[in-house]
Amino acid sequence: MKWTAANENRILPRDAGAGPLDVVIGVMAFLAALALGASLIADRAAQSWQSGLSGRLTVQIVPPAHGDPQAQLSREVDAALGVLDSTGGIVQAAPLSEKETLDLVSPWLGKDALVSELPLPRLIDATVEPGATIDIAALARRLKSVAPDSVLDDHRHWIARLKNLTDTVVWSAYVILALIAVATAAAVAFATRAGLEAHHDIVAILHQMGAHSGFIARAFERHYFAAALVASAVGAIAASVLFLLAGGLAFVGVEPVHFLPPLSLKAEELPWLLVIPLGSGLIALATARLSVLAALRRIY
Amino acid sequence: MIRFENVGMRYSTGPEVLRDVTFTLEGGSFTFLTGPSGAGKTTLLKLMFLSEPPSRGLITLFGYDLATTRRAEFPALRRRIGVVFQDFRLLDHLSAFENVALPLRLSGRRPRDYIADVEELLNWVGLGERMWSKPPTLSGGEQQRVAIARAVVAKPDLLLADEPTGNVDPDMGKRLIRLFAELNRFGTTVLIATHDRTLLENTHAREMRLVDGRLVELRASRQ
Repeated sequence: MKWTAANENRILPRDAGAGPLDVVIGVMAFLAALALGASLIADRAAQSWQSGLSGRLTVQIVPPAHGDPQAQLSREVDAALGVLDSTGGIVQAAPLSEKETLDLVSPWLGKDALVSELPLPRLIDATVEPGATIDIAALARRLKSVAPDSVLDDHRHWIARLKNLTDTVVWSAYVILALIAVATAAAVAFATRAGLEAHHDIVAILHQMGAHSGFIARAFERHYFAAALVASAVGAIAASVLFLLAGGLAFVGVEPVHFLPPLSLKAEELPWLLVIPLGSGLIALATARLSVLAALRRIY
Repeated sequence: MIRFENVGMRYSTGPEVLRDVTFTLEGGSFTFLTGPSGAGKTTLLKLMFLSEPPSRGLITLFGYDLATTRRAEFPALRRRIGVVFQDFRLLDHLSAFENVALPLRLSGRRPRDYIADVEELLNWVGLGERMWSKPPTLSGGEQQRVAIARAVVAKPDLLLADEPTGNVDPDMGKRLIRLFAELNRFGTTVLIATHDRTLLENTHAREMRLVDGRLVELRASRQ
């Protein structure tokens, strides 16, 4: 055996702090990656919902209870289209076809032939020019005057509720991340102190030989940084695989749920999960350093 | 070099292990510290290599009054002291070579500057063939020689040795004492704690004797 650079850098035995701590950090990194992934999915869904609904208006014309509903509906749709076309800021307005309307309700009512006989409302989809301001209340009054069974919906209520929901999911994920970070720091601090205890003789002899506190702390922080980095990388990779598998559910016959975002991460979102092992390693490094320096301060 | 004035030492609330110890070690001197087991030799050494603070009294080391010296300066002082511990205190996961090289690493020297020195020293203490062995695979005598090599490799200003020849045969004991004498010739102040009086018979070094925590007998150097 000869001297090597690897030997030169080694101060702590390789087994220091290994085992249970690695498992704990790996599991925590897995959970943290799931929480981070969930926040990314929720954030993407919120943006997609908002961009899909904002800038749009929907006019709903309910079938009248008396008279000839279909003729009345057609008259009111034409009248409403006339009002929309003459309103400044609305670039396009078109009624949904019967098939499009049936497709909208099919997730709840199915595609049975009987459904087409139900008195379904007619919907007009209008697109607002980006940046244009429309007086919704005035438009609703004008629509009512020509089409008494019309209801104008600018989706503001929906968007607000969706935003609340996604904000809650995103912030919950952040809180979970913070809790996991605290738990990781506590576990690493505990393990570092146990490591210090187990290797008290090494710390004592280095201290006695005139090693600076920083030199001893670096030996420990490098060790725990590397251990936490590897363990949490395994956890984050496991979570990435789970997100990728979720993306493949459709291929094995699992139908996606309408209005819910797919539970998979896009390829460009996966690098965000690298934050977990890096963050975990840095927490381990900082905790190890502080624990070692605190322990050394107690030695003469 | 070292001055103790009325130094007393007790561990926690126990009895005083050292009482009113006063002496001076001049730079470049060679001294034996003798006394029966339990007399306080190891405790006196601990105070000298900054392992414990005294309970009372004044210690001056390399011109620094330890009571007023900042703790941040202690590592630099400790690096000027080589210590041979009675229980060796080798790092079991490092080879004999790495253990001996440790003080040089701590002083910031680069490996290529010290590899030859360390190998030469290990050859000198008869461990050339075993320099890559780990301490648990070495005999007590071999471990003691590694501990001595580690203490002297950086040519410290002060060498403190606690029973350094306790585990080696008489011939190797004499060889190690010669190593200390050689180091002393180049300016290192040496203090050896021992109860082996045969070591003293072959030298003319000063003797300080500890009995029941007091320095009761002093023999001046006959050099």
